[in-house]
Amino acid sequence: MIDRLANGFDPFVIPFMVGMIFVLAYCGIGILVILFQLSREDRRRFLLSLVKPATAWKNIKDIFLNCLIHVKLWKRNRVLGFMHSSIAFGWFMIIVLGHLEVWLFVPERIRLLYYPIFFNFFVAETETTLQGAVFFFLMDFFLLLILVGIALAMIKRIRSRFFGMRRTTRASLLDTIGLYSLWSIFPLRLICESFTAHISGGSFLTVPMNHFFRWFFGNELNYLPTWWAYSIALGIFMLVLPFTRYMHIPAEMMLIPMRNAGLKVRHPRRGFARIQVLSCPGCGVCIDACPMSVRKENLKDCTVYLNRQIRHHNERRITEISEKCLMCGKCSEVCQVGVDGPLMRLKQRELKKYSINQHYRNIRPDSFPVEGTGKVLYFAGCMTHLTPSIRKATMSLLSKAGIEARMMDPDGGLCCGRPMLMAGRQEQARELIRLNTAIIRASGCDTLLLTCPICYRIFKENYKLDGIRVVHHSVYFNELIQSGLLKVSKDESRTLVYHDPCELGRGCGIYEEPREALLAAGNLVEAHQNHAESICCGGSLGSLSLNYEKRREITLNAFENLTAEQPDAVVTACPLCLNTFSHYADRPVEDLAVVLDKASES
Amino acid sequence: MLLSMKETILVVGGGIAGMETAVQLKALGLTPVIVEKNSSLGGHVAQWNRLFPDMTPASKVLEPYDEALKEVDIYTDTEIASINSLQKEYAAVLSNGKTLRCKAVVFATGFKLFEAEKKEEYGYGIYDRVITNRDLERWFDTRSDERVPAKPAAIGFVHCVGSRDVKAGNSQCSKVCCITAIKQAIEMKELFPDTEIYCFYMDLRLFGKKYEDFYINAQRDYGIHFIRGRVSEVAETIDGRVQVKAEDTLSGKPVKVKLDLLVLMSGIVCDRANNELARSVSLPLDEDGFFRSLDNIAGVTRTDRKGLFLAGTCSGPKTVPETLAEARSAALQVYQYLKAKKK
Repeated sequence: MIDRLANGFDPFVIPFMVGMIFVLAYCGIGILVILFQLSREDRRRFLLSLVKPATAWKNIKDIFLNCLIHVKLWKRNRVLGFMHSSIAFGWFMIIVLGHLEVWLFVPERIRLLYYPIFFNFFVAETETTLQGAVFFFLMDFFLLLILVGIALAMIKRIRSRFFGMRRTTRASLLDTIGLYSLWSIFPLRLICESFTAHISGGSFLTVPMNHFFRWFFGNELNYLPTWWAYSIALGIFMLVLPFTRYMHIPAEMMLIPMRNAGLKVRHPRRGFARIQVLSCPGCGVCIDACPMSVRKENLKDCTVYLNRQIRHHNERRITEISEKCLMCGKCSEVCQVGVDGPLMRLKQRELKKYSINQHYRNIRPDSFPVEGTGKVLYFAGCMTHLTPSIRKATMSLLSKAGIEARMMDPDGGLCCGRPMLMAGRQEQARELIRLNTAIIRASGCDTLLLTCPICYRIFKENYKLDGIRVVHHSVYFNELIQSGLLKVSKDESRTLVYHDPCELGRGCGIYEEPREALLAAGNLVEAHQNHAESICCGGSLGSLSLNYEKRREITLNAFENLTAEQPDAVVTACPLCLNTFSHYADRPVEDLAVVLDKASES
Repeated sequence: MLLSMKETILVVGGGIAGMETAVQLKALGLTPVIVEKNSSLGGHVAQWNRLFPDMTPASKVLEPYDEALKEVDIYTDTEIASINSLQKEYAAVLSNGKTLRCKAVVFATGFKLFEAEKKEEYGYGIYDRVITNRDLERWFDTRSDERVPAKPAAIGFVHCVGSRDVKAGNSQCSKVCCITAIKQAIEMKELFPDTEIYCFYMDLRLFGKKYEDFYINAQRDYGIHFIRGRVSEVAETIDGRVQVKAEDTLSGKPVKVKLDLLVLMSGIVCDRANNELARSVSLPLDEDGFFRSLDNIAGVTRTDRKGLFLAGTCSGPKTVPETLAEARSAALQVYQYLKAKKK
């Protein structure tokens, strides 16, 4: 294979070059800006992680699996997975093979950015074609793969239901331009390469098309304009890329190493958050996942729209979306890119200035002395005090199992701090954490038992209670049952469904222990959507602005999801879920502790 | 003058609204038929001991109906399976298999008392010393309820349980609980003069005749304590009593009282069992789940569907005299409707 043109240049590459240089400059400057926005400690940590072999390897692996193969998407939806990976991986292979060809046959041109892309225009086939035949075949093969992907994408645009998506986002004007230029790139490439296949060689796609074109047109006047069109399509795509959802392609390659380095959102707009927002492909999976989406007026309050509003700098909507969210975490659970929507909102909430800032200076740790000597300390928390059945059943189960336990707040106590934390009021939360820590330390306990997942999560994540085991009652009682300390008899005639509370499931990763414990008391069926995809009950204290009337529909929808298999009772492990559901329930809703208490022998 | 017509009118529900409507329809020369899902007539009033504000025995209100309804067809233990709209009349299929053709239907389906278990923080069904207003009325009748102690030292009444409570899904005022609480508090004080009695209220809505006097009596003559503030939580003490935490919003201080008995004023809420019936005849329901009247001023007993009328608490919380007045009004509306049709 040899150079066909002496100077290795033709004006048609200019649109491509303009786009390419623009995109490279934009991304280059963007990376510098984001690095600058990171805190000093984060920046150091990120840069160090890049040179550490273990994380570097993980980065490469993750980028390959997620950005090119889309493993996560395959697991969720095979057709969508195939569509994305065929385009991404196919395109990637075409670029790699293009470079390989240049490097093998015309190594002196490797420095020219456009050469690998328009290789077939610039070279002519020689006697040694066989060496290139493998490449010709592979090039045609990957092009075909991409074209199949594009065809699927077109079908998806027309009928997203074929792909199991109920709702998707509406594309903006620039997104549409990006989309159409992306769609046109590959058919154009096929036509260009077909026109020149008799000069530069081709394979099973391009050669037959070449014969057809030559027979049909009878001249070679058409091939230069198509190469121009191909270059212009690429140029347009790259020029609009930074302003469209396709920015997620370069951004995600940055997001993965940053996440692997352990970076987290610290500011809702800057640094890591910026990369996260740009990495959102706008697929809209979070729309169907969001519990608020049962209400038409809340359709645009999910994470994909938060990201969009942040890109559009719409402050009013950013605040509104951030305060409305129930913080159930399902959007980040289903997100293909791993955008942490709730954390973004939390950081946004932290920016809010309050005119009155509560303080707890009048409360001292010894205001709430803990009596007794039991090693197990039970903190009921405010929600359990409002659902006394749980408190009663818990105390009863503990005494049945012969555990010497005492209550931290039998007659009033302090808030765990999580409501304040979720409202973005770090300072108040910290003060409560400090006070509670002192109370717990002073009690001399070795186990802190909690019946509320909201409390459990903050005790687990934000308290420093080294040496003290923090345990949720679902886990604790399951242990007691499995070890035989608690005897529970099974009612074979009763079917139960377990509702995964957001804070316990997605929040703390506890899914199996409550089910295991419940299996000892009755038969279990599963909700339509369960485990990590369970639906928030709607009562969450995460939302600062949703009122009770609006939450009603959310609760009814979540309840319908739970009772798909017609269980006799709904069981949950969170007093807030219990309280929320029981107002609308058509069958008993009980806490796990109550179910176990009824089924256990004294 | 009376129309000479023997048209059948279906009255759904045999509480005081249904019974009074039937009596009046009969007097107007029509043929009412009462369908009652329970085994006896009288509805909620039959479960009550005495009525405010004159401490009238509830049985005295119900007594005259035995005689007055003698010639009225009554189906007890019967529900309406469906109502079909025919060209000029309605055909109701009863759960006993009979079909009733009628010229008009009066819904007197009443209300439900809020299920106090749903406000779990008050501990109904969990603590031994927590009862509802209905339980207390039963106790006045029977004097047997393990939950009511022989010599209570302190009793509390919680107003607005499940009513005026968006969280519980009922934003409406239940209208009768303020005065019922005062009545029951006075009755308890008469039985146990040495007992301290507390009423926890949001605000007192004493709109009816003699209500305000009743309240002043309760304070002045009976020494009942009124604490303005919602109860936040109820806990059980080791000796089996209940401890109530509330905020006294007048003094701005939290209060904590130990009680031997806590009475929850369960509010009037809509009966969701009526939803299906309403749907079958395309009767709209209000947001609060009660039937929707034609309007709330002059058309309370009428609906926007021809030949369908409402009486009593199926369209919202009402007192006994209001219910009776409405039942009479509904009967007249039916009469006028038929008269206009005849012409």
